[in-house]
Amino acid sequence: MNKSDPLRSYSIQGDNVDREWRRFKYPQTLVKYGVLLSVLVFFTYSVHYLNIPLDRIMGMFGRLGDVLANRYYPPDLGYIANQEYLDAIVETIQMAYLGALFGLLFSIVLGWFSAHNVSPSQRYIYPIARVITMGCRSVHEMIWAILFVTILGFGILPGVLALTMFSIGFAGKLFSEEIEAIDMGEVEAIRAMGGNHLQVFVYGVFPQVRTAFTGIAIYTWDVAFRAATVVGFVGAGGMGWYLKRNIMQIETHRTAAILLSIIVLVVISELFSAWARIRVSKAK
Amino acid sequence: MAILEVSDLRAKYSSKGPEILKGISFQVEEDDFFAIIGPSGAGKSTLIRCINRLLEPVSGTIKLHDVDVLKLGNRELRRLRRHIGMIFQEFNLINRLSVMDNVLTGRLGYVGSLRSIFRVFSNKDIQRALELLERVGLQDHVGKRADELSGGQRQRVGIARALMQEPNLLLLDEPTSALDPKISREVMDLIKTIATELKIPVLCNIHNVQLAKEYCNKIIGLQDGNKMFDGPTEVLNQANLEEIYEMEIL
Amino acid sequence: MPNETPATTVDDIVRSRKKKQRIQFGFYLFLLGLIVWSIKATVIDDTDWDRIGSLADIGKSISHFIGIDFSLIPSLLGPTIETFMIACIGTLLGFIICIPAIWFGALNVTPFKSVTYPMARAAMTISRSIHEIVWALIFVSAVGLGAFAGILAIAARSLGFIAKMSAEAVENIDPRPVEAIRAVGGNNLQVMLYGILPQVLPIILGIVIFEWEINIRRSAVLGLVGAGGLGLVFFRQMHTFNYPGVTTVIVAIFGLVLIGEVASHYSRKALI
Repeated sequence: MNKSDPLRSYSIQGDNVDREWRRFKYPQTLVKYGVLLSVLVFFTYSVHYLNIPLDRIMGMFGRLGDVLANRYYPPDLGYIANQEYLDAIVETIQMAYLGALFGLLFSIVLGWFSAHNVSPSQRYIYPIARVITMGCRSVHEMIWAILFVTILGFGILPGVLALTMFSIGFAGKLFSEEIEAIDMGEVEAIRAMGGNHLQVFVYGVFPQVRTAFTGIAIYTWDVAFRAATVVGFVGAGGMGWYLKRNIMQIETHRTAAILLSIIVLVVISELFSAWARIRVSKAK
Repeated sequence: MAILEVSDLRAKYSSKGPEILKGISFQVEEDDFFAIIGPSGAGKSTLIRCINRLLEPVSGTIKLHDVDVLKLGNRELRRLRRHIGMIFQEFNLINRLSVMDNVLTGRLGYVGSLRSIFRVFSNKDIQRALELLERVGLQDHVGKRADELSGGQRQRVGIARALMQEPNLLLLDEPTSALDPKISREVMDLIKTIATELKIPVLCNIHNVQLAKEYCNKIIGLQDGNKMFDGPTEVLNQANLEEIYEMEIL
Repeated sequence: MPNETPATTVDDIVRSRKKKQRIQFGFYLFLLGLIVWSIKATVIDDTDWDRIGSLADIGKSISHFIGIDFSLIPSLLGPTIETFMIACIGTLLGFIICIPAIWFGALNVTPFKSVTYPMARAAMTISRSIHEIVWALIFVSAVGLGAFAGILAIAARSLGFIAKMSAEAVENIDPRPVEAIRAVGGNNLQVMLYGILPQVLPIILGIVIFEWEINIRRSAVLGLVGAGGLGLVFFRQMHTFNYPGVTTVIVAIFGLVLIGEVASHYSRKALI
């Protein structure tokens, strides 16, 4: 017994038979390292292709800190406290509300059509609805905003429409996933009674997913609000316009104040949405 | 000579909660297969977990080979733990790792941090792990993932892992209650044989009185944190059992 | 309905139901009022209807976009690859800076609860609440125009989601393997490597791949603020009023996102 190791140390005598063991067998090893190597090569090549100054990465964080401390601090809170800016905040909230609402209305239908198990026609309507939701989702909300601004001019309406498209893509996918996970027994019951597709949806599907839909709807609003804070960047109304103007004019203290207000509002909306979703899931 | 001496051990789950153990004392000698029996909620698991300080007792002393377990610092505690093998009720295996890797984790207390990052184990450890897996009858399952095995097989992996530590003491926390009766006996037989062969004392907490009587030479009975019985298995009679379980035992 | 006094007569039941209905009705009325007010304030008052003109005019402006500019296609290849690479490296970098955030932000493993946990949570919130466009602007002002700023923006934006979901996964692990590793005498690092990591690694990788899929979409617009890729081409086509070119770029984005979605779907399936 020694001091560092309080217990007697002993070794159980082995039978001295030599056994073989490898963590990975031959083809497995090859695949594993092959994949690893190709990923590594891809990343190295990408760094080279994009001309990323690797040597500057470490120094960059310090500079970023300096930039934030010297130029953005302190935020010019007086700037965001005036009536005009507060109006813009209300506008942003309204925009997000309307965009999410219109988007949700469309996405209930699209979610129904693009759910594989209850889609009225799996051959025709299902793929079409899928492509529409995917199209809405794959195009970024900023691009939608630019397109609508080009067509309709500056204002809140293009913002609302851009957020509508965004919400369709966002909620449509979640809705259809939710519908695909339902219990098909109830659907069969309605079908057996001779219900048509609409009746199947209204009586067999909707009651099962109502709570989930409400949760998704609240979540969509939350996400749409985040997007709404920046669509103004391209002239689609709301706070984004102020952000853009001050960034362009290098009014860093005002920019910091605006960013601060965005963070605060997003946190509030997130807390509210979390609270509302808990309420909904409890109330059923 | 007593290998493990526990005296006046008291434990709580939270600082304000009720006492789970209300002053337990007992001694485990060399060659003992020591059973703790009692109804659920009596504090059996708490007692076992206090021995290697997975739970911190409130007061009392635990002496293992004359080392005061409760006075050890973090590093010394880890050194002590690597000599105490533990086998769990629900096996506590790492499901996504292979059987072999699970057994090798028994050596972690001996392996440095750097080597454990890359899962490098010495050839001696690997040889020993394979030997133990053969011993517990799992030589055909070495490369499988732990979650592909049946309950009995998983517990055998747990046994091999505990033996990998070259333990001076084995703690068994209800090793059979997740297994069916036939497998339970096989597992207990295996533990008993190995423990006798390697002269490792065993402290076993078990709710099945029949199994306790069959395999253990000494028994203590707990009820609501108090020790109700302490003695050799032969002495345990119906009256004692009724006292421990507060009910008629058929 | 919780803590409700038992309704004794039919009248009571009817009354309580009526009350509930009235509250619900009031709530829906409130939502409806909000809609009307919002529509009036935003769509009706704020919109320059003369600028939009008649429905035919709108149709005409939309019809500009119909068609594909085939001459643009060869010059799209470079920016498409660039966008794809920005998304990949940005996600990787985001994941790397995420690791300490996951560690600090999961209640069961955070080292100094009162300091590190709020720190990590604050970082996650800031990362998620600032839009990628704004992140890109901040980084463009710090490191200049180019793909590098885009990568940093993607990484900064990814941090929040990856860290939040992963920290939740770490908090929800099965504690039993952890107990086993502690019982064999493993130190904290070993507990993490053997008890926690094998359990959460597939989940975290799934989250990262999911975020990567979203990042492809995001990196396609970062060009708007000068961070390279397809967004830059999009902006250029917009400025030169080459509307079929705009459509071409959108189709390219669509294709890229589709590839990402398929790849993400299958690789996440393979992980399980």
